[in-house]
Amino acid sequence: MLGSAELSFNVDHGYLEGLVRGCKAGLLTQQDYLNLVQCETLEDLKVHLQTTDYGNFLADQTNPLTVSKIDMEMRKKLCGEFEYFRNHSLEPLSTFFTYMTCGYMIDNVVLLLSGALQKKSVRDLLGRCHPLGRFSEMEAVNIAETPSDLFHAVLVETPLAPFFQDCMSENTLDELNIEVLRNKLYKSYLEAFHNFCKDHGDVTAEVMCPILEFEADRRAFIITLNSFGTELSRDAREALYPTCGRLGPEGLRLLAQAEDFEQMKRVADHYEVYKPLLEAVGDGSAGKSLEDVFYEQEVKMNVLAFSRQFHCGVFYAYTKLREQEMRNVVWIAECISQRHRTKINSYIPIL
Amino acid sequence: MAAADLRAELDSLVLQLLWDLEELESKRAALNARVEEGWLSLSKARYAMGAKSVGPLQYASRMEPQVCVCTNEAQNGLQKFRVLRSGSQIPEEVGPCEAALRRRKGLTRIPEPEPFSASPNPLNWFGILVPHSLRQAQASFQEGLQLAVDMASLQIQINWGQSQLRGLQEKLKQLGLGAA
Repeated sequence: MLGSAELSFNVDHGYLEGLVRGCKAGLLTQQDYLNLVQCETLEDLKVHLQTTDYGNFLADQTNPLTVSKIDMEMRKKLCGEFEYFRNHSLEPLSTFFTYMTCGYMIDNVVLLLSGALQKKSVRDLLGRCHPLGRFSEMEAVNIAETPSDLFHAVLVETPLAPFFQDCMSENTLDELNIEVLRNKLYKSYLEAFHNFCKDHGDVTAEVMCPILEFEADRRAFIITLNSFGTELSRDAREALYPTCGRLGPEGLRLLAQAEDFEQMKRVADHYEVYKPLLEAVGDGSAGKSLEDVFYEQEVKMNVLAFSRQFHCGVFYAYTKLREQEMRNVVWIAECISQRHRTKINSYIPIL
Repeated sequence: MAAADLRAELDSLVLQLLWDLEELESKRAALNARVEEGWLSLSKARYAMGAKSVGPLQYASRMEPQVCVCTNEAQNGLQKFRVLRSGSQIPEEVGPCEAALRRRKGLTRIPEPEPFSASPNPLNWFGILVPHSLRQAQASFQEGLQLAVDMASLQIQINWGQSQLRGLQEKLKQLGLGAA
C-alpha cells in the first residue's frame, strides 16, 4: 500500500529511528579527521578522540596504548549501541537486526574453524570473535571435522542453519575448503537478506535492495581479483558469486572467465555503475586499490540512506558507516605508530 | 721496496673497505624501506580484510621455518651466509647422494628418491583469496630477508678488512722505525 510506511513506521520504530539519527550525527567529521591526522603519537590520538562522541572510551586502557586496544574499544562502543537498538526493537525490525548479525556469525564460525586448524586454544579464539556475531554454540565449533558435523552438532539451532544447504559437499575442512565454505555461506546469506528486504517492500526495499545488490557485485569482483594466481578453478569461483546483484547471470559468467584485471575491467564496462569505479583503480601500490574504491562507493550509498525516512535501512547504514569510521581511525593510528605518514590521508571521510 | 708494496696494498684495502661500507649503507637503507613497506602493506591488508583476519590467530605458535641461513667458508677463510629455502638441496649435496644410490642398486631394491613436496605457502594461513596488499607484504619481507643475509656477509668482510688494515699499518710502522 503506497504511503503505508509514513503512516505506520513510527508506531513501532519511531523512537529507534530518532535514536539512530542522533547517533549518526556523532560520527567523526572532516575537521576531526584533520586533527587526528596531525597527531604525533597514539596518546595524542586518544586526547583528540576525547573531544568527539567517543569521549573517555580509552580511559580504562593501561599504557602502552596499542592500535588493537583502540580497535577493540571502538568495537565495544558500536556493539553497545547495536545491542540497545536490537533489545528495543519489534518485528520486523528485530528480524532485520538478526539478518545483520548473520554476517558476523559467519566470520566467527570461519575464525573458529581456521583457528582449530592452527591448533589454537578455544578461549583465545572466542576472545577475538566479533561480539555482534555471538551465538550460544560457539565453543563447540572447534570439534567439527566436516561441514555436516558442524551443521548437525552445532548450527542447527542458529539463524545460519538455512545457509548451509549448498555447503555440505565439502569433505574435510582444510584451508581451501574453509574459504569456499565462507564464501558460499555468505552468498546464501546475502541472497536471503535481499529476498527479505524485497518481500518487506516499501521504502526499506527501495533503500536496502540497491545496497545489497552492490554488496553482491562487490563480492563477485573482489573474489575474482583475489583468485588470480591461486588454485581456485573458474567453476569453483563462479559458484561463489552471489546472484542477487546487478551483474546478473550473464555478467557473472563473463566475470568467471576473466583471467586478469584488464579482462575484469572490460566486464565492468558494460555496467554504467561499475565502469567509473574500476577505472578509478590506480596502478600498483601508488593509487587506490579496488577495495578502497568499493569502500568509497559503499559510504556514498549508506549516507544517502539517511535522506529517506521510515525504513529499516538507516540501522544497516549507520552500522556500516561506524565500521568505516573504525577502519579510518585504525588506519590513521597504524600510520602514526609506524611513523609512515605518506599514506595517512587514505581514509574515507564520511560527513 | 717493501714499504711501497705495503702502501699499495694498504691503499687497495682502504678502497675495498670504503666500497664495502658504501654497499652496506645502501643495503641497510633498502632493508629499512622493505621492512617499512612490509608493515604498511600488512596494515592495508588489515584495512581490507578486517583487523582480526591478519594477526596472531592465523598462524600456529610453533611453525617449521621455510627459510634457513647456512654458512660456508670461502677461500680466504671468511664465513659467507646464504639463504636456503626448505626442501631445496644445496648443490654440493646432490653428487654424493646419487653415488650412494648407484652403489645400492645391485643389492637391494632401489630406494625411490623422495618426491619434492611443495612447502605450504604461509599466505594460505590467511585464506585462499587474500588481497594484493598481503602478497606485496610477503614479497617485501622476502626481499628484506635476502638483504639482511647479504648485510651479515658484508659485515664480516668489513670486520676482516678492518683487522687486515690494522695489521698492515703495524707492519708499515715497524718498517718505518726499522729504516729510521
